[in-house]
Amino acid sequence: MLKSTTKLLASAAMALTLGTVSATADIKVGVLVPDSGPAGLFGPSTRNSAKLAAEKINASGGINGEQIELVFADVGVPPAEATQAALRLWKGEGAQAFVGMHDSAVREALIGRFGGQVPYVYTPVYEGNSCADGLYITGETPSQQLAPVIPHLAEKEGVSKWYLIGHDYNWPRDTNALAKGYIADAGGEVVGEEYVPFTVAEFDSSLQRIKESGADAVLITLVGGGSVGFNVSFAGFGLDERAIRLGTLIEENTLAGIGADNADRLFSSSGYFASIETEGAASFAADYSAAYGADAPALNGLGQSAYEGLMLLAALANKAGSLDVAAMDAAAEGTTWTTPRGDNTLTGHHMAQTIYLADGSGGAFNIVASFDNVASSEACSN
Amino acid sequence: MTSVLILNLAWQISTLALVALGLAIVFGKLRIMNMAHGEFVMIGAYAPVITSSLGLPGWLQLPVCLLTVAFVAFILERVVIRHLYGRMFDSLLATWGIAILLREAVELIFGRGYQSVSPPISGTLSVLGSDYPAYRIAVIIGIIIGFAALYWWNARSKVATRIKAMVGNPDLAEAIGINTARLSAGAFIFGCCTAGLAGLILAPTIRIEPMMGLDYLIRSFFALVVGGLGSLEGLGIGAGIIAGTQSFLGAVVSQTYGYLAVLTLSILFLWLKPDGIRSSSR
Repeated sequence: MLKSTTKLLASAAMALTLGTVSATADIKVGVLVPDSGPAGLFGPSTRNSAKLAAEKINASGGINGEQIELVFADVGVPPAEATQAALRLWKGEGAQAFVGMHDSAVREALIGRFGGQVPYVYTPVYEGNSCADGLYITGETPSQQLAPVIPHLAEKEGVSKWYLIGHDYNWPRDTNALAKGYIADAGGEVVGEEYVPFTVAEFDSSLQRIKESGADAVLITLVGGGSVGFNVSFAGFGLDERAIRLGTLIEENTLAGIGADNADRLFSSSGYFASIETEGAASFAADYSAAYGADAPALNGLGQSAYEGLMLLAALANKAGSLDVAAMDAAAEGTTWTTPRGDNTLTGHHMAQTIYLADGSGGAFNIVASFDNVASSEACSN
Repeated sequence: MTSVLILNLAWQISTLALVALGLAIVFGKLRIMNMAHGEFVMIGAYAPVITSSLGLPGWLQLPVCLLTVAFVAFILERVVIRHLYGRMFDSLLATWGIAILLREAVELIFGRGYQSVSPPISGTLSVLGSDYPAYRIAVIIGIIIGFAALYWWNARSKVATRIKAMVGNPDLAEAIGINTARLSAGAFIFGCCTAGLAGLILAPTIRIEPMMGLDYLIRSFFALVVGGLGSLEGLGIGAGIIAGTQSFLGAVVSQTYGYLAVLTLSILFLWLKPDGIRSSSR
């Protein structure tokens, strides 16, 4: 209880500081965050990261000399409602640009609604190949997370027999379609592929299949609670001694649910971890805990992506000299900017970025490799 | 293959029977459609999180679990449930609201994130020629012993008969000296405590977060629909069919077909045999 009171006070203080800034604000930026729904877990860290980005942008002169103010909407709801919420910010409150951290269904609905009339930065990990006027993407796509990582693991861990397991929807299927190519190129083979419905909470039969397949590596594209349940049972059956695991959406919260006992040789590939030790990432993490306290919602790749998105928006709008979509599209290719993730370049409306490989053994991510300037093969042709 | 399949079946059936036991008591005996059943499983699963955040030793997990769940169940029974005995639809709406309240309360205290719990017994045992988690073996044996004891007690104790009399005719039961208020409160709290115990036992093997209760509520209802209300045999048969179907089809075909079969079975039973296979209460 005491904790929530301090949090309340902290956010009230935060609102006051932002309030003084907003008195002089000229540009409103709509930030679309999941406050509810399955991704609701990431709402608080997303908001916090976005606010830090706005402070940073305003401290360094704003967008084209004008200060920015963030206006938030909850998009952890079905696409039709999410579009309405975004529309209220756009037409009602006069937001001139959007940054969104939400699922793909909402993104597709928003692309249709925005119709290329307003710049829109989409920030979470996603399946790739989404292209539209005024749409810029900072999230990692499967090719970025896997192309450098699978050969690296094949060499360092000596693994060659891969089992692919994911939830039954397009992101896991698209990821695995690409993974098969990288596995073959690295001299490995796929010994099993399986998709489970979201309603399944136990994975005993899948684990038995993995054991029988003789796999020495498992690529996991299960999400959220399913990933936690799978990984807990995986280690319970002692399979962690037989095979390494690689996940492309295992962030700090998921690892906390899996637990230290069950995370041996569990690797995760992402553009961001809270434990990245580069100067940029360390100072970002320090700013975050200074602003929100030690028991603030833990930093993770999804929440932090909102920071990346706002920084791209500022860099791109400053390069184009306006928030006009045609001008920004013309200036987009080759935009470079630096964030906690590292040095980034915009190519094909997607963000070429540093990809980190972390080992979750012992219950905390330890960065074991990083790959600079990895471009997405699912970007847009200009 | 086969020995692991058998052990997986035993694990799934025994844990489902344990999870559904509380619902069978509250729904089957008291006619309270307890939509907050899964939330009691959830609170039980949070007991190790409570003890570790307070720095208490591990052996206190069980008392903390039972005290917490019993306390919550007692308050709810006094404030809400006691007004709703025999009003099944009203109880459904009220307990659905309680379920939301409990989820939000846990989220407020522990946050929305996932929690993890270490098993008291780690490692695997070689059973029937295959490696199986030692903790699961211990749990399966424990549940079998627990149900045997419950069955033995149920057959001898007068409490079950008193509850039956109370549900059948409350006024007459009061007239012959049964304290119905205390009896029904006791049965409700006992039912909730078994749900909490199930959560505590399952905690090291599952995901733990405020929304986790829903899975357990739905599967428990399926088991009761198929098995029938009011008897331990019915509960066992229902858990066996629901967990067995999912587990077996999941192993030989795929998880999708397993779940599809469970849904189809439940719908067929609701439609053609709404009292389930075994129903002793009417």
